Amino acid sequence: MCDQSQNIYLPNLVTIESIIDETPDVRTFRLVFQDDRVRENFTFRAGQFAEYSVFGAGESTFCIASSPTRKGYIECTFRGVGRVTEALRRLETGDTMAVRGPYGNSYPIEQFYGKNLVFVAGGIALPPLRTLIWNCLDQRDQFGEITIVYGARSEADLVYKRELDEWQGRTDVNLVKTVDPGGNGPEWDGRVGFVPTILEETGPSHENTVALVCGPPIMIKFTLPVLEKLGFSDEQVYTTLENRMKCGLGKCGHCNVGNVYVCKDGPVFTAAQLKAMPNEF
Amino acid sequence: MRSPGKRAAVRVVPDNETKMQKHISEQNLKALLDRLISTGTRVIAPRVETGTLLYGPIRDASQIDLSRLPRRSAKETFFPVCEDILSYEKHGQQVTVGDVDPARFAETVLVGVRPCDAAAVPVLDAVFTWDYNDAFFLERRRKTTVIGLGCTTADDACFCTAVGLAPDSSTGSDLFLTPLKSGGYACQICSEKGERLVAAHGDLFTAADHAETVPFATPSPGNIDLKQVKSWLDHHFEDPLWDEIATRCVGCGACAFVCPACHCFDIVDEGTEKQGRRRKSWDACGFGKFTLHASGHNPRDLQPKRYRNRIMHKFKYYDDKFGQTLCTGCGRCIRICPVGIDIAAIVEDISQRS
Repeated sequence: MCDQSQNIYLPNLVTIESIIDETPDVRTFRLVFQDDRVRENFTFRAGQFAEYSVFGAGESTFCIASSPTRKGYIECTFRGVGRVTEALRRLETGDTMAVRGPYGNSYPIEQFYGKNLVFVAGGIALPPLRTLIWNCLDQRDQFGEITIVYGARSEADLVYKRELDEWQGRTDVNLVKTVDPGGNGPEWDGRVGFVPTILEETGPSHENTVALVCGPPIMIKFTLPVLEKLGFSDEQVYTTLENRMKCGLGKCGHCNVGNVYVCKDGPVFTAAQLKAMPNEF
Repeated sequence: MRSPGKRAAVRVVPDNETKMQKHISEQNLKALLDRLISTGTRVIAPRVETGTLLYGPIRDASQIDLSRLPRRSAKETFFPVCEDILSYEKHGQQVTVGDVDPARFAETVLVGVRPCDAAAVPVLDAVFTWDYNDAFFLERRRKTTVIGLGCTTADDACFCTAVGLAPDSSTGSDLFLTPLKSGGYACQICSEKGERLVAAHGDLFTAADHAETVPFATPSPGNIDLKQVKSWLDHHFEDPLWDEIATRCVGCGACAFVCPACHCFDIVDEGTEKQGRRRKSWDACGFGKFTLHASGHNPRDLQPKRYRNRIMHKFKYYDDKFGQTLCTGCGRCIRICPVGIDIAAIVEDISQRS
């Protein structure tokens, strides 16, 4: 559809191939493009986002949570909190919805070749890193050590539980999972504590390393000083901004932080870039 | 820009300028519009509808009212308040999406456009062509011939001369009309589009003679230097000024809706899950929910932050991004603000601070 029309707001139809309930209110959809040509030609880079829609309810912005190395489908992970996401939750396997994208910049993955990677994520913010984690794991020999520090309020709030088990079982991934104090059940085999604290205790070296951080604003706020303490420069730290967006195309004016349009100049930024922006995100 | 004094005097018109100047009588202007309407061209002009003067489609030339500035700007000719961007229909599992083909937009003549409104349209080209081309705006732009009209009166809210424009600016116009003292208009041809329109209806135009034009208005805005405004804004994202000027802002968004240059929009579905349409509709950065995240976090959680964004976007961000100012000094936001916020006074204050 998109490639024939002048209409930049026209989405592609997708079928929900499968649904995974990550937590009581977070769900992952695997989506397959209905049009053969779109399915074959759709490409994206880790870090990019899309506009997902349910006709009659509207559009919502999420990252593409699957890896560009996994062809034939894309995945999105969302929490049901508003009109569109509640409508998405009512959809079932086999239903049709719509996607337009991919939009925005991406992680400069080629610049990470040969380096160690430290992923730091909190709660529902693992999806924008999960795309890159699998992208890197699918070309594992390009990278040095891979450390993943991931936490949530409670065990139930951890997303991608089966993948966490898989990463934990791999010898070439160091997964440090944690839950906030009080969020652990009797069989919890991870750490207990807030993400910034656990990161500091894990103490990854900054040498030849890139840190990739996604989480709620409060987690980011306390994680950046920890990374600084560990010796990371602002250029070594990447994050994504998840501003409210409507068009995704640099037109509608919703997502700007100062003169930066998150939808086009982002969503991926280094900590150095964040510090140059006005404090309004 | 020429001063009104010089303009009123009789002068020798050079040959090449004569070719670019025509005259048209009041009656022939109406005849031109009626002829365009009868041949299927959409004609948009200031006309009163339910008591309000707005730019809108006219059925015949008698509806046109060029006596004053319309309540809203002419931007809606290119960027409607609300427009369909697609339709959808669902039968069982089968969903059909209907495209809205911008190629079907009608050829349009937009007439009686004031300089502040005409100048805003090319300013908006930058954002609507930035990487992705918004064909809804651009196709209407391509298909519209703009007949501007110089201003011979101004009120105390007008401040076009403070932002680089003037009551005689033809920026954004394909033809530009200046009222003649003896009735009718001097018609300046400003583009090929304008030239084509005149050529196609040459019988309605006469050669320019030395008839005197009505003197242009002389707005008296404060002392504003856009470069100084920008340089202060560059360094004062945090400043007590924002609280001072915006605590009384009620966030009604009226300023954005009447503005010729504001272009923020929302995308919403209207209909049921079985059938409906997706629409683009005007939005305003003054609204509290404009930047509200799903999580409840709101980067612009207070009105002063939202008003700051309005000023910053117009006088800094758009300049940073596209090298232009997002304000043409029409003064509508000053006239309409329910709590009396005066953007010209604020910008003058900022200009004096640098």
